[in-house]
Amino acid sequence: MQATDPVTQRPETTSAAVNPLDVLKVLVLFGLAVYFAYNIVSGNITNYINIRFDWLSYVAVFIFAMLGIGSAWALYRRDTDAGYSADAHEVSSLGWWTIIIVALPLVMGTLIPSRPLSVDAISGGVQLSVASANSAAAFSRDPLERNVLDWLRVFAGETTPSRFDGEQANIIGFVYREPDFPTGHFMVARFTVSCCVADAQPIGLPVYAPELLDDLVDGDWVEVNGAFEAAVFRDTKVPIIQADAITIVSQPEHPYLYP
Amino acid sequence: MQTETTQPVDMTRYVRQAGLWMIMLTLIAAAVYAMFSGDRDPQTTISDFSTRFLGIFIEAAPFLLLGSAVSGLLEVFVRREDIIRWLPKNPITATVGGAFMGFVFPVCECGVVPVTRRLFTKGLPMSVGVAFLLAAPVMNPIVLVSTFIAFENQPNQTELVALRFAITAIVAIGVGVIFAIAARPQEILRPVSFAPVAGGDGGKPDDNAFTDFKQPPRDMIASANPTLGNNLYRAIKVASYEFFEMGRFLVVGCLLAALMQTVVTQETLVNLGEGPLLSVIIMQALGFVLSVCSTVDAFLALAFTGTFSSGSILAFLTFGPMIDIKSTLMFAGVFKRKTVAYLILLPLLMTMLIGLWINLFTNI
Repeated sequence: MQATDPVTQRPETTSAAVNPLDVLKVLVLFGLAVYFAYNIVSGNITNYINIRFDWLSYVAVFIFAMLGIGSAWALYRRDTDAGYSADAHEVSSLGWWTIIIVALPLVMGTLIPSRPLSVDAISGGVQLSVASANSAAAFSRDPLERNVLDWLRVFAGETTPSRFDGEQANIIGFVYREPDFPTGHFMVARFTVSCCVADAQPIGLPVYAPELLDDLVDGDWVEVNGAFEAAVFRDTKVPIIQADAITIVSQPEHPYLYP
Repeated sequence: MQTETTQPVDMTRYVRQAGLWMIMLTLIAAAVYAMFSGDRDPQTTISDFSTRFLGIFIEAAPFLLLGSAVSGLLEVFVRREDIIRWLPKNPITATVGGAFMGFVFPVCECGVVPVTRRLFTKGLPMSVGVAFLLAAPVMNPIVLVSTFIAFENQPNQTELVALRFAITAIVAIGVGVIFAIAARPQEILRPVSFAPVAGGDGGKPDDNAFTDFKQPPRDMIASANPTLGNNLYRAIKVASYEFFEMGRFLVVGCLLAALMQTVVTQETLVNLGEGPLLSVIIMQALGFVLSVCSTVDAFLALAFTGTFSSGSILAFLTFGPMIDIKSTLMFAGVFKRKTVAYLILLPLLMTMLIGLWINLFTNI
């Protein structure tokens, strides 16, 4: 059992003055509605979640707007404050801290430029393989249309890496290097995102390009053309792209791949 | 973040709170240090942290909103008498029913918290509420379908889907029954989520001890003018109140989850090791840290089917939806601290043992 907190025993509010917290609350609700809508319109949403779940953000915009309209109406009618007598403080007990904390995503989303996870977010190395589920779908895709994930799925369904020798690939990803990569090698990497960036996993294909490598900086988005040739990389024999051409490209519309 | 809700009572309470804050601050300091040490550019570090944080929030917030909306509608359109009338009289049967209530209110782990809290204020028994709270994030039609689709190409699809539901039901009902036997609501719930005063119906003598109720104002609950429009207006007011009440815990949970992921990466966890027990614990830790919504986590689990045994995957698929960083924080808005600890530890141990058993003695 707890003692009475004297602070909450405030006298009745009789005036119809506007509580600044109620105004803030309305602003935060509308702000979040606009923020979620902006993410959809600007395409920034692809920096955060698997696009398969973008409908969730539409739902959020709708509900935030409804809550905002309801709260604004309550504010207009002074419904949040006057007329509740002893209960009035309870609404306001959504105190400053609550509003500030709930407004945090809005503040961070507005102040910090929206960017996908960077190459720096990789800390445990880039995976060279994926679970083989759906490899049939990847197989049926035109080889030149396959992305990093498709290729790794195709590889997962095949035991001899040299089977792909000579096959042409054309893939887009960002440059990733580790200090112990053999000279002339880098990886074209992508993050896969199943739900949201919380589960982002970096995957990549090794590329051999001794002459073309000099100007590349880690994290640059590149388009790589070349044929596979199996060789040892990280202690295992894997198909490695022998690059004919590497072009710097702009970040793709969907920075992540969706497994 | 809950300065306005904590009640300064005695010194031990202060000391305990100070201790908790110290632990939290130490963790955060360690995380921030880990983020900025090394040769990483601070600007990209902040950008990546922000992306992670917003990613989790953007995916979870719609579910919290849906839960808040359901909570608002419940408040306005469901009366306490209805709940009591619908409930089976036998407490065990009622608890079992609670575990299946997700088919009536299909919510995930963010949405389930406001709904449960609202149901408690409507007089739902503890055990039923706890069973609902733990089971609903998995045992609802949406998750059933998403799990089924995610494991479409797996040879053991049927077993995984069936076991995911069976294990969740067992654990949720088990914990619910423990609560039914062991505890009274006053000992478990924070006053804010406690029933009788909500309806303004007087309440039992015990309740007078709770003066820090933070219920929505009374006229949200009993309107003089119960037209449909007015009812919906009241539902919206309750829903926005609920969104802020729970939203602050969600936001802090997202912040912590994003911090944790910067320090303890998926790769670190996955590389920790194998073995029938360790792999289960690792997948549980992963479910806790990632805090991915239960409606979509099956797609994530799929990525681990190559690396981890079925018992571990199932531990991830059952423990993760019940308990993760953000739901833990949201629980803290409903239950007292000790109860939150039980709500984490019991499912943790139960799913761990079941996962271990599957790894050792079955061939799934």
